Amino acid sequence: MVRDILRNLQKDFRVEFRSRFAVNIAVSFAGIVTISISLTAGGAPFPVKVQSILLWVVLFFSAMNGLAHIFVREEDQGTSLFLRITRSADSIYISKFIFNQIFMMIIGTVVTPLFVFFVGVDVIHVLHFIMSVIAGGFSIAASTTPLAAMAAKAGGKGSLFTIISFPILLPVLWISISSTAGALNEARPESGTVIFLLAFSGFITAISILLFRFIWLEN
Amino acid sequence: MSGIRYTLRVQDLAKKFNSTLLFKSISFSVETGGSLCVTGPNGSGKSTLLKILAGIMNPTGGAVSLAAAADIPPCDWMNHIGYTGPLVNPYDDLTGLENIQFVLKSGNYASRLDSLLRQFNLTQHRDKLVKHYSSGMKQRLRLILAVLNDPPVLILDEPGTNLDAGGREALSSFLDLARKQKIIVLATNEPGEEKLCGGGIRLG
Repeated sequence: MVRDILRNLQKDFRVEFRSRFAVNIAVSFAGIVTISISLTAGGAPFPVKVQSILLWVVLFFSAMNGLAHIFVREEDQGTSLFLRITRSADSIYISKFIFNQIFMMIIGTVVTPLFVFFVGVDVIHVLHFIMSVIAGGFSIAASTTPLAAMAAKAGGKGSLFTIISFPILLPVLWISISSTAGALNEARPESGTVIFLLAFSGFITAISILLFRFIWLEN
Repeated sequence: MSGIRYTLRVQDLAKKFNSTLLFKSISFSVETGGSLCVTGPNGSGKSTLLKILAGIMNPTGGAVSLAAAADIPPCDWMNHIGYTGPLVNPYDDLTGLENIQFVLKSGNYASRLDSLLRQFNLTQHRDKLVKHYSSGMKQRLRLILAVLNDPPVLILDEPGTNLDAGGREALSSFLDLARKQKIIVLATNEPGEEKLCGGGIRLG
């Protein structure tokens, strides 16, 4: 199983590296939006809550296309049947989940410092800020991976994925924004928000692993 | 391959898509060393039947079982069945060899891989990206991927599609040799391929 997961990951990274579709779109979007926000503000500082909302809007929309791409690509290129007869559903799901987590980490690592620099965010509780971005990103990737599989199987492209993701991601974004805002305020932030995000990811991941085979196998 | 004898058993198989009945009451049994050819007009359900046999699709009624010493559970069929069909597309952004390495289950098959590449005339193209392959070369690669791990059961949906005369000859000689040691089920409308099978069923 571990060997299968590693080989799936190697294949996914190789294919992504050769096309660079997801990373190019995500990084271009993040760069353009962050610089546009910075130029439009003209150096005027945003309130803490607005800074936090803008950071998560940029992270969310930068990542969405790439997160869906991991399953949509298999359907678009007609390789899903080949994958299905080669690997077990569990190993496929776990490798796609890990791929999306790594992708989200890359986006977070590129976007967050860019945003902090260009928008002039003053981070007071650095550790809590980093933990909020990591836990929020982890939750987004964990929630969107099974949704990407459903959207791909339904023959849907990006728009369907974004629409069905909204109700699931609403609590994640809500808590992520409030947790990040907590790290930018003077008051001591609550660690409960980070714990909620991690617990939510764990719950979604466990359910997804159990149910994925029903999405993946044809009836 | 080990000397274990396998039996592929099909009982009262039926498949419906919504209210359309594609086929019903299909029963047969094939043992190692036996082969079966599924023929029928377009849309008669040949590919669907083969997908059910390969464990990729669920039937509406009836049952398929694969038995050796004991019944093999459907979740483990993947390790015993080699399947290919027109919708099995290897990765375009990988080379032929990278696709093969992705499928290869054990390093012990390295010599078999070389012989298959030679047999299907892909040795000199193995390091090319699959997106630069012709449709005939892609079909040869599909066949290599299906038989690579030496599965005891081969389910081949229109294996001769897009092959030139050399490719068809390579396929015929491979099947001729393999059918003595394996169960082969193939769907085709090619008279040449039908002759390679011991028995046949016609759909539609």
